[in-house]
Amino acid sequence: MIALPAALLVAVALAVAFADQGPASVLRHLYLAPTLWAALARGAIGGGVVGALAGLLHAPVVLPAVERDGLTSQTLDGLLSLGLPIVAGLIVGRLVDGSRARAARLAAVLAIQRRLDGPEALEDKLVGVARELRTALRARRLALLVGADVRTAHLVSVPVGTLVDADSAAAFALASGQRVSSAELAADPRVRTNEPVGPTPLRALALPLVSGAGVVGVMAVEWTGELSRATRAAAEALALHMGLAVANMHLTLRQHHFAEELAEKVTAATTRLRELDQAKTEFLSVVSHELRTPLTALQGFSELLLRSALPADRAQRCLVYLHTEACTLGRIVGELLDLSRIEAGRPLELRPEAVDLAELIERNLEIFAAEHRAHHFHWTSSGAEVALRADPDALDRMVKNLLSNAVKYSPRGGQVCVSACPAVDQPGMIELAVEDDGVGIPADQLPRIFDKYVRVPHPETAATRGLGLGLSLVKALAEAHGGRVEVDSLPGKGSRFRLLLPGANLDF
Amino acid sequence: MLLLSAPFDPGALTPARRPARAYAQVVGAVALLVAAGLGWEWAGTFPALGHALASGAVHGGLLALGWLLATDAASGWSGPVLRLGAMQILVSIIARLQPLGALAFLVVPGALLLEGRRQSRLRAIGLGGARPAHALTGLAAGALLGAHLLVTASRTFGYRPQTGDLPGYLAALAYDVGANALSAEWLFRGAMFSLLWRRWAFWPAALLTTALALLRYLLDPALPHAAEARAGAVFYLSLLGLIGCALRAGSGSLLPGYLAALAFFAAYRMFAP
Repeated sequence: MIALPAALLVAVALAVAFADQGPASVLRHLYLAPTLWAALARGAIGGGVVGALAGLLHAPVVLPAVERDGLTSQTLDGLLSLGLPIVAGLIVGRLVDGSRARAARLAAVLAIQRRLDGPEALEDKLVGVARELRTALRARRLALLVGADVRTAHLVSVPVGTLVDADSAAAFALASGQRVSSAELAADPRVRTNEPVGPTPLRALALPLVSGAGVVGVMAVEWTGELSRATRAAAEALALHMGLAVANMHLTLRQHHFAEELAEKVTAATTRLRELDQAKTEFLSVVSHELRTPLTALQGFSELLLRSALPADRAQRCLVYLHTEACTLGRIVGELLDLSRIEAGRPLELRPEAVDLAELIERNLEIFAAEHRAHHFHWTSSGAEVALRADPDALDRMVKNLLSNAVKYSPRGGQVCVSACPAVDQPGMIELAVEDDGVGIPADQLPRIFDKYVRVPHPETAATRGLGLGLSLVKALAEAHGGRVEVDSLPGKGSRFRLLLPGANLDF
Repeated sequence: MLLLSAPFDPGALTPARRPARAYAQVVGAVALLVAAGLGWEWAGTFPALGHALASGAVHGGLLALGWLLATDAASGWSGPVLRLGAMQILVSIIARLQPLGALAFLVVPGALLLEGRRQSRLRAIGLGGARPAHALTGLAAGALLGAHLLVTASRTFGYRPQTGDLPGYLAALAYDVGANALSAEWLFRGAMFSLLWRRWAFWPAALLTTALALLRYLLDPALPHAAEARAGAVFYLSLLGLIGCALRAGSGSLLPGYLAALAFFAAYRMFAP
């Protein structure tokens, strides 16, 4: 406030007048007190005005003395004291203004940094920063255009509601990296506008925000009235800071995204590892059980044969059981060997030869129909030749696994339909389809079902035994033959596996 | 926000220079009228009317120059300029014919406002109202300077305020209202300062404007020739000019500066013969 220093000034003038000690009165120095007070409170303008008032108030004391006595040391001293307060007021006020401007700039920089480091969304951060900048620069309007391209850049303006023209001064500054300065925007010949020129000039600066990566945005500021050098310098300094801050913000955002992606990947990998670990544990448990069952039978029947003199027909039956269990054991060991080969990245050993697929399917269907009397098996052949050139053992294992899978995951009394025909959509390929009306597979599990050790959990099939290897082996064997396996499934409706293998006329 | 919304052409050329012909016509006409008035005054037949013609021509010329500067001599300038110039000469002559004829000066600001309303460009020089606080600040600043002049001049040089000739005092005030202060504010703080401030910062624009205004007063034959009067004119009119520029810049209107000038001249006229 300038009223109190002005009142003190009047009091000093009255004291000087009443003391009546002439132009060099020692009391004249008291004029400095209100002048410096005003300068400290209101800067150069306050100091200058109060200093000028001090000179004016002291003039009626000094000038008559000059008129009366001429230029003596006393009157010269008095004359100097007319100008001293205004000089002191201006110098101190200017220093105060400078230090305040620096403090305000520093405060703005800190506030901007705090805003940009805050947890808000990018748009909110930029709005907050624009507000801080506008306050710090005492601007009428301020806008931030953040981005390298005017069409895609983020725009925030204070006050809000500004649209960007692709040919505007801000767009030019963004594209060229050059600053645009105008002492009167409404009368600037470079700016095409119909806005009338007002009584107060509309000063403007469009400052490119530059970082190491180039121009990252534009700060557009408009002032009405006087634009001091200090304010212009402050705007340039803040634009420089903003450029670095925006670049930092982009780096931070990228870092956050990267960290989030990394965290997601780590979480997914950890989950997968846990699942694999769990699956392996289950696998070991299951495989032990699967191996133990035929081994127990082998031990039991062989001991029976060794210790007892059995009748020939019973011994024959024991031998049949022994053979069956040995075959089961052999199949399990074979699958484990294949698995170890796949895991080691070694190719599967295949001995391709011409195979009659229909005969192979019929044989397997007979076996499965005998073992699973509750299920209904349907075999459909296209009638066309479905000859393959494949490893018979591998093909047999693929068919058995698909049939076994269909039986396992369909209810008692369920339908299992098998068909074989040349693939319509894949010329030269033979299609073998196994379809059931079982529990089906949820869509989110479909991508995983050909992975090793994966068994889709379902309450109806929880008691079903298996290693979780069948489908992964089918996939590996199909691919080793140059084919592939596909699946369509609807939960509650059933699944359809489609095995595509090269026909006899195609080599793999 | 024009920086974002208005199309920008970095290579656009500055507009053509102001037509010198219009200025030449105005200056030539004013020179002729002043010469005629001074010749009339020198001839000795109704010399007061010759003086009135010259004085009215000068103030009309100042208003005309202000109009040309403010409107960039846009087409249609001659009508208002002729009307305002003629009015200045007319009221100046009327003021010389009758002791209270000077009150005719009071119609000039109204006429100027009426003419100015038709030209939207004049809004740019501050031809509009001001907030009461700004108007009061202007009055207070002018009153302070005037009071200071009264105190300093009476204490230092023994000048005594004259209170006997009230009609003369009122006539002088009316002259300030319709000619002296009006033409100075219109041309210097209005047209010139607005034009310069649009290109430069405040201080260069204010200093140049004030220097030109000071020159106008120092060339005025009505200014007393005494050294202390000229020194006082330099001091007070410089301060008044700078204050006027500050008020114009701060308020966006010519009114506060005009009121400051009127308040100051109201004090100054107390010393006038």
